[in-house]
Amino acid sequence: MRVIRFIQSDGFPDFLARLSRNNRVLAPVVKPAGKRSVVFEQWREGMPVILEKTTVPPKEAVLPQCETLFVCKKSKNPDNPEDVGMTLGTVPEDASTTLPTLIFACRSCDARGFAVLDRPFLKGPFADPYYKARRARLAVITLTCSTGCNTCFCHWVGGGPSSPEGSDVLMTEIEDGFVLQAMTPAGEALLESSNLADGKDIFPKAEAARKAAWASLLPAPDLKNAQQKVAAVFKNEQFWREHAAACLSCGACTYFCPACYCFNITDEGDAFEADGARRLRSWDNCMSSLFTREASGHNSRAQKAQRLRNRVSHKFSTYPENWGKFSCNGCGRCISNCPVHLDIRDVVVNALAVEDE
Amino acid sequence: MPVMQGKELRIVGFLCNWCSYGGADTAGVARAEQPTDLRIIRVPCSGRVDPLFIVKALLNGADGVLVSGCHPRDCHYSAGNFYARRRLEVLKRFLPVIGIDDARFEYTWVSAAEGQRWQQVVTSFTERVHALGAAPRIEDAKPFLKVADMALKPLRTLGTGKNAPLEKLKEAIKAKLPELECVIGWQKGYDDIHTTPLFMKSAEEVDKLVWGPLNVVNTANYLSQFKGKKVGIVVKGCDSRSVVELLQENLISREAVTIFAMPCEGTLDVARVNEKLGRYTIVNAADSDGAGLLVTVDGKKHSLAMEELAQGKCRCCTHPSAVLTDVLVGDAPQAPAAAPTPPELALLDSMGLEERRGFWRGQMERCLRCYACRNACPMCVCRDHCVSDARDPHWMTQEADVVQKLFFQTIHALHLAGRCTGCGECQRACPVGIPILALRQQTARAVEELFGGYKPGFDPAAVPPLLGYEVEEQNIRETRI
Amino acid sequence: MRIGVFICHCGSNIAATVDCAKAAEIAKSFPDVVYAADTMYTCAEPGQAAIEAAIHEHKLDGVVVASCSPRMHEATFRRTVERAGLNRYMFEMANIREHVSWIGKDKEANTNKTAELVKMAVAKLRNNSPLTAKTFDVTKKVLVIGGGVAGIQAALDCAEGGVPVILVERESTIGGKMAKLDKTFPTVDCSACILGPKMVDVAQHPNITLYAYSEVEEVSGYVGNFSVKIRRRASYVDWEKCTGCGACSEKCPSKKTPDAFNEFTGLTTAINIPFPQAIPKKAVINAAHCRQLTKGKCGVCAKTCPTGAIDYAMQDAFVTEEVGCIVAATGYELMDWTVYQEYGGGVWPDVITSLQYERLLSASGPTGGHIVRPSDGREPQTIVFIQCVGSRDKSIGRPYCSGFCCMYTAKQTILTKDHLPWSRSYVFYMDIRAPGKMYDEFTRRAVEEYGVEYIRGRVSAIYPDGQGRYVVMGADTLLGEQVEIKADMVVLAVGIEAARGAPGLAEKLRISYDAYGFYMESHVKLKPVETNTAGVFLAGVCQGAKDIPASVAQGSAAAAKVLALFARDKLENDPQTAQVDIRRCVGCGKCIRCCPFGAIKDSEIRGENKAQVIETVCQGCGLCTATCPQGAIQLAHATDNQILAEVNALCR
Repeated sequence: MRVIRFIQSDGFPDFLARLSRNNRVLAPVVKPAGKRSVVFEQWREGMPVILEKTTVPPKEAVLPQCETLFVCKKSKNPDNPEDVGMTLGTVPEDASTTLPTLIFACRSCDARGFAVLDRPFLKGPFADPYYKARRARLAVITLTCSTGCNTCFCHWVGGGPSSPEGSDVLMTEIEDGFVLQAMTPAGEALLESSNLADGKDIFPKAEAARKAAWASLLPAPDLKNAQQKVAAVFKNEQFWREHAAACLSCGACTYFCPACYCFNITDEGDAFEADGARRLRSWDNCMSSLFTREASGHNSRAQKAQRLRNRVSHKFSTYPENWGKFSCNGCGRCISNCPVHLDIRDVVVNALAVEDE
Repeated sequence: MPVMQGKELRIVGFLCNWCSYGGADTAGVARAEQPTDLRIIRVPCSGRVDPLFIVKALLNGADGVLVSGCHPRDCHYSAGNFYARRRLEVLKRFLPVIGIDDARFEYTWVSAAEGQRWQQVVTSFTERVHALGAAPRIEDAKPFLKVADMALKPLRTLGTGKNAPLEKLKEAIKAKLPELECVIGWQKGYDDIHTTPLFMKSAEEVDKLVWGPLNVVNTANYLSQFKGKKVGIVVKGCDSRSVVELLQENLISREAVTIFAMPCEGTLDVARVNEKLGRYTIVNAADSDGAGLLVTVDGKKHSLAMEELAQGKCRCCTHPSAVLTDVLVGDAPQAPAAAPTPPELALLDSMGLEERRGFWRGQMERCLRCYACRNACPMCVCRDHCVSDARDPHWMTQEADVVQKLFFQTIHALHLAGRCTGCGECQRACPVGIPILALRQQTARAVEELFGGYKPGFDPAAVPPLLGYEVEEQNIRETRI
Repeated sequence: MRIGVFICHCGSNIAATVDCAKAAEIAKSFPDVVYAADTMYTCAEPGQAAIEAAIHEHKLDGVVVASCSPRMHEATFRRTVERAGLNRYMFEMANIREHVSWIGKDKEANTNKTAELVKMAVAKLRNNSPLTAKTFDVTKKVLVIGGGVAGIQAALDCAEGGVPVILVERESTIGGKMAKLDKTFPTVDCSACILGPKMVDVAQHPNITLYAYSEVEEVSGYVGNFSVKIRRRASYVDWEKCTGCGACSEKCPSKKTPDAFNEFTGLTTAINIPFPQAIPKKAVINAAHCRQLTKGKCGVCAKTCPTGAIDYAMQDAFVTEEVGCIVAATGYELMDWTVYQEYGGGVWPDVITSLQYERLLSASGPTGGHIVRPSDGREPQTIVFIQCVGSRDKSIGRPYCSGFCCMYTAKQTILTKDHLPWSRSYVFYMDIRAPGKMYDEFTRRAVEEYGVEYIRGRVSAIYPDGQGRYVVMGADTLLGEQVEIKADMVVLAVGIEAARGAPGLAEKLRISYDAYGFYMESHVKLKPVETNTAGVFLAGVCQGAKDIPASVAQGSAAAAKVLALFARDKLENDPQTAQVDIRRCVGCGKCIRCCPFGAIKDSEIRGENKAQVIETVCQGCGLCTATCPQGAIQLAHATDNQILAEVNALCR
């Protein structure tokens, strides 16, 4: 993994244009509004190059907000209307399925998110073909962070500003430009096929910048007991009620989480219509009471405290219990996007502080 | 089966069974020739026509929608058409804000005897729709992103509430606390420029209460979850109007809620503060100089002037002090005069229909359907039973297209017509900053213009305009066709 | 589902401009349609038999008929599918005659439209559910509101039919306007002589409970089970004790009390009985003029009353009655004619209304039946009658005809001649409307036998001539000349309007009323007695202008409706009512607030407020469904999903 390249600050448009020839390049795009947001969109020539951390994580690259799993069509035998034939229709194609996807200016926390998504979609007894197809053709160029911020806490949960997990290339800003370091064979191929100058000589500058970034982080609490501690408060209803008191039960925390992967399946449309019936897979939100409402009307998590408990426990207790690491990467979007500014770190830290009974 | 190419346009009619459907029958019996475009859906009463059926049709390919009911006073159900008239008129004024020409929708009254009139209504409406041509689809519009100019001069001097008698307020809360389940307020959040809701149950928790321009969350949102319990609530002027609405809708009872108020000097637009400070930064310290906040971020000092960075609603605020209180601490300032058009709505006003379609297409594309807008709305009383997630009724699909997303915003805006106090929490809550408040502001403006200047959130005993009617409406001109 | 579609040719009515066979062919491609056919006359016996056969043969569980308007044959086909074992609501209709074949000649467009209308019907049908009616008990008791001749007739007929009747009358006596009349047209028989016995029957009938001097305060409930709160106004006389002897009235010192029964043509005492034949014959104190009640000093009647019935401290009392039906017979009032400034606007004492004139003619009236001028008590020589004062006059917002003025004016001129043989009567009229049995003959008698001078034209002004008479200036449009008559007295045929308070009562009864306060019948031709609120019927002028024979006939008709309804022990509701999904309902009460029928109530289910529909009250308008933001209340057979299915069939 010693393919290292250097790019001048003004060299990105060329670099991206080159990559766009064979890839769907998703890059941060600023959406101007009273409240400005930054989202990943397909980069096209002429667009400005934005390196900001996005408001929305790049999860959509592999797990779209809503995707059509299949289309089915029914037709009748004109001579016998009881004789109905059914065929699978074609799902309309878009760039996400026809081209390999390259995420540009991802962040370490978001890149680590892909590893969490891989767990249910690739590593179970069956691989999800839709996810697999996208994931197999995904490359990630991650920009290492130069500082921490008020909401992010990657270093609490096993990551860091330059954590390589999930990234094919790590890109670090130094003066005048950026050093790109391949972290996977795919990353190597990507850099080798570029016309960027070699950057081995200045790599120490990048390493120094990464160290500086680490050093700038606020000290992290020790979460090695978090799994047990969060499990220990599971039955402490008071604890969860207090932490969930301000929660509005919206989906801002889950939909903006790079590691949340829950989905819902619904059927829409009519198989007799020209566009057929669609089976849709769309994001679902465990903070909504509908998430666990059963057909009978019974709801095992009717209270928002139960739902917050589920989300935090999943990320910090049950998931690590099963798979050995947190399903939270500390990107902090659940904090920064929460309409009432709830802080998941408080929940975990307070759980650590609860004396064992 | 597409609409006959080139000959017909898609026109949907909703006709009440008793009068207009009969009128259409009478026209048929008289062999009164009519254009063939119209497809009639028979409903029991024009009052049954949910305006959302019309929006649903118009967003999904209808070129025109016609509603016809019994003449006022002739309603088979006494008053259904009186309600319909109000709701459909509000809809008519709403459609242009999402870029739909209001001429594509019409409502009128035709009696069972008026076959000739029906012929004339169908003919002239069909001609009108043909003159407009096929309706442009919102998803085909060219994205057009434009930002509202927030440089509107505030109606009053805004401040940070630095000299507000917070200690006195805390004492007042502590005095009442023994009789209350809890008191809802605000506390310092994860850094010095964010606050988060506080539920005070003890004197120590009361001491966590903060006051100032960062208290953006509408505390009224939490009231209905305490139904049946005695609670206290600390409110800004705008929050208090939501409390009034909840009282009006019988979702809380006046005896069960104790309202603590201090006059508000304005709140900050945290999104624009973030933009100024940088989204992902470390806030080291914050202080106030009365006219704004002085914040140190990543070691650098910034001045956040209220004049520059207050929320749009605070600039247009006419009721900085609570409209309903039990304990008022501090002197209520004089209420400023009538408010101008809010900046978000003024932006839409400045656009043509095509630009508006482009605007909403461009904005809604990034919506993730997290429903923070809905859940942050204190008047979204359906809570876990919103039609957006329901199969019965099945108004929407889970598809992530612009039409679904804009349709949800329309559902919200129309459900809030006559109920929305303009608190702006929907827009503030949106993580991706979609300026959806303008849609609610448009319904509020329509309601105010149509129903004698009615503004929600002032009188708990008032009948909301869309749940009432006048036999003779002052501001609705009924027959246009 | 397994749906069958039947496209009707209706002879050539549809088939001439719609390719029915092709439409049936297209229908076969629609979802769940397993059978489609075109038939010549679907509603005829063979057509219906074919539907039944197809249901059996193809195991259909839903049927669409594309034919005429559902307003014509929906009920027919519902019965058809029911006969074949389907629920009647598993049926939909597409109107391809009135809405397609009869209104356009373009066969291609019509066939396409037909197919789309069928597609919508199929889409809706796929969302239909079987509905069943509920049965409920009936309180076999009727409330009649208003004790005029129409109400009396309705009450007596119901009582005779064995139904207990609650009769509520606002005044202290029943009899209404008819009791004020001297004679009635076209027979010129004595009003009191024909009405009096009926009034006595009301008083004596064991099935009738009379609440006079009372008003309906509140109405709740629904057909078969109304609950009515009645306000019994304070009369200050204990009617249990009052014998109607009239001693109080003789002694009452407050003798300048305006006499409402006599249309203010005379004075009476503060405590009085309106007229000798009053039913009930009980005294009432006019509180505004009673010295005891206004000044606290007097008490003469209390001292005089031999039974000690006077009770100055009496308050309004309330009774609640449970009834199954209500007949509204609230009658009318004369409009305020003083808007006519050209007729003196009420200033000239000898310009009076026809009803006031009626009191002057009446032997029990203030003048003992002598026609004299109110101003000076002299007998008039020349009397001018003016028609349509406040009728058929758009300029003052009264475009309608009051119906009976032409006839009573003819009667009054005849009576005038009988009373004052030397007098001369003139009638200014617009048209003579005398369409009833013996009516035209009657008006002719006035002209031909009694020498009444009818002048076709309007009066433009009435003013005093300074010598005690009035100059009546008008136009004779037949001769085309101006007319000026010196009159001693002028009688105005003042137009009618709905009784005072009629709209308020309509709102309590949840029935509609027109711009003039007259109550709306369910169908102007075919349901003239019913209203759109089940169990509420109309009788008399409250529904629109009519004379005594018509009012009596409608009173009997209303009674027939009541008796027919009560002939059944159980009633069935229309199952197209609103239904609440209590899991979705958040109890915000918006539906309760706007339901026009009070059919939704707040109920507590497991500690939570929920809306509850009273199915028997719900009329199925669906306003609640359009109001409920979360869609928790759905009108059966017009649910959101059913209408959305139709919208989606057209727009996607």
